Amino acid sequence: MALAALLVGVIASGISVVKGAQELRSLHTALDQSQKAQDRLLAEHSRLLLERSTFAGLQTVEVVATQELQMAFPAEIKEVVP
Amino acid sequence: MSTWRHYLFLVCFATTALALSVRVVYLGVTERDFLQEEGDRRSVYKEDLPAMRGMIYDRNGEALAVSTPVFAVAVNPKLFDATNQTELSELARVLELGAGELERTILNNRQRGFLYLRRHVSWERMDAVRQLKLGHVSLVPEYRRYYPAGESVAHVVGMTNIDDLGLEGIELAFEEQLRGEPGTKTVLRDRKGQAIDDLEYGRAPRFGTDLQLSIDSRLQYIAYRELKSAVQSHSAKSGSLIMVDVKTGEILALVNQPSFNPNGPINQRIPTRNRVVTDTYEPGSTIKPFTAMAALETGRYGSDSKIETSPGYFWIDNKMIQDPVNLNTISLSQAIQKSSQVAIAKVTLDLPEGSVFQVLQRSGIGEYVGTGLPGEAIGRFSNVGRTSRVSRVVMSYGYGFSVTPMQLASAYVTLASHGNRLPLSILKRTRPPESERVFDIEAAAEVVAMMEQVTERGGTAAKASIDHYRVAGKTGTARVLGQNGYNDERHVALFAGIAPVSDPRIVMVVVVNEPQSGSASGGQVAAPIFARVAEHSLRLLGVMPDKNRSGVDESPRANTLLAKRDR
Repeated sequence: MALAALLVGVIASGISVVKGAQELRSLHTALDQSQKAQDRLLAEHSRLLLERSTFAGLQTVEVVATQELQMAFPAEIKEVVP
Repeated sequence: MSTWRHYLFLVCFATTALALSVRVVYLGVTERDFLQEEGDRRSVYKEDLPAMRGMIYDRNGEALAVSTPVFAVAVNPKLFDATNQTELSELARVLELGAGELERTILNNRQRGFLYLRRHVSWERMDAVRQLKLGHVSLVPEYRRYYPAGESVAHVVGMTNIDDLGLEGIELAFEEQLRGEPGTKTVLRDRKGQAIDDLEYGRAPRFGTDLQLSIDSRLQYIAYRELKSAVQSHSAKSGSLIMVDVKTGEILALVNQPSFNPNGPINQRIPTRNRVVTDTYEPGSTIKPFTAMAALETGRYGSDSKIETSPGYFWIDNKMIQDPVNLNTISLSQAIQKSSQVAIAKVTLDLPEGSVFQVLQRSGIGEYVGTGLPGEAIGRFSNVGRTSRVSRVVMSYGYGFSVTPMQLASAYVTLASHGNRLPLSILKRTRPPESERVFDIEAAAEVVAMMEQVTERGGTAAKASIDHYRVAGKTGTARVLGQNGYNDERHVALFAGIAPVSDPRIVMVVVVNEPQSGSASGGQVAAPIFARVAEHSLRLLGVMPDKNRSGVDESPRANTLLAKRDR
């Protein structure tokens, strides 16, 4: 009786070790993939930051404002809205 | 069948079995640790996981320095067979290197176990190298630094070397915060040195801390553009500009010419010198407002106190003090407006000894500004031996001592904030710093009012005036010290300005070193740069206009509008 219980215990713990190892492996893979994804996203983030600073830079804004939108600085200030 | 043969075989088998068991015990028990270690050494490797360096942002969150993950392609020259032409030529093609050169480099380093073939390789190229599946070629993750704002903030932000360590500017000064801490992981490699499995993550990399600077990249760009075009059109040797927020002491813009592209290759010739911080100049007449302050503090002078300058020169001991023209009788504020040497010298001799020195000292001259930017100079500033009448007078108009442009800006912030001295900062401040009252409010306001006349018609810096805003300032022209004392041919043109006068928001110091074109005075060379930069900057900062276009005085119309807002 006791021997049977011991046998069941041994089998159960054996299975849990296997399960744990399997889980470790899959988590490992997940972590690895997340890290790769993070790196790719970081690379893209910095690329987008560069793009933004090109397109939203003062230089571009000035050109668009004066040439495309025909904006000009007021010659005389009539009213200042705070 | 004889028994001896039977026993012979038995003994042979027994001996063999015994030998094997002994060997098994020896390998499996006695030498176990050593062998395990040796085995691991050949297949289990600890790899560094690089930490990303902290980003640097401007005050509005615009990126000034960005790190992006890239790869280094490395080889183990001991094991890589460089004579295998197919492998070598494929590798050379993907890395865009010459095959012959690649072979030579690898063969020349055959005694080493690690050799970088190419650094900072993009993801696409990394994938291409991985596709080749070459043995003993490894891809090492690393980070590369980009500077989106490029040349315009190069001297402030600085740069890093190829190994991601700060070399100049903020990158060097705040290295500790910006640098992260690399992590480690354990991997299993095959015979060819390629990682086949991650065994264990030791420590996750700790990324560096981001920094937010006080710089406003829009103002920085305007300052960069205007200074660059002015330095070019005057064929000047160099130029510097610093703009400070009077309310908070934050540095809004800091530029130097010549500048450099921080994204380009690094070599010894690139002009990395941050002259605003590292170079000292004689401030010349930009010091005269402080002499006026010393005069006001005695209580015996006001801005309309009369000073007799006729006949336009006078002698102190053996030195002649002289104005370009005879200004006859002028007020103290006219002495500032016209930058009269004679009037300032006469006032100084009438003041208690050391009073000009003390005013300058209180405003911060002679002390480190202490923003943390690397290489800050302190200049020469001392009262020792300054007892003769000549040396006192010389100091009152800015000769005989030297300051950095940043020190001069700091001193002007003290005037502009109506006598409050506040520490400057290159990092964005979340709350206003503690300030110290060093001048009387009324006296400081009076000095600023005198300096406003400098930018009006008849002043030495009429070219510093701008539309919509009242500005105050003072020009200065110093001669460069050559081998035989002052050199009359080489000048430094300075302008220090405050705007808008009704409620000062910015202080700007412009220095142009050795302009070659015609006039080299502060009013002709440096003041126009101030005007162009201040005009754009005040508008971008959303500062309320305090004057109308044509009128020098505050226009009544603007007045009513201002009053309406206050209600």
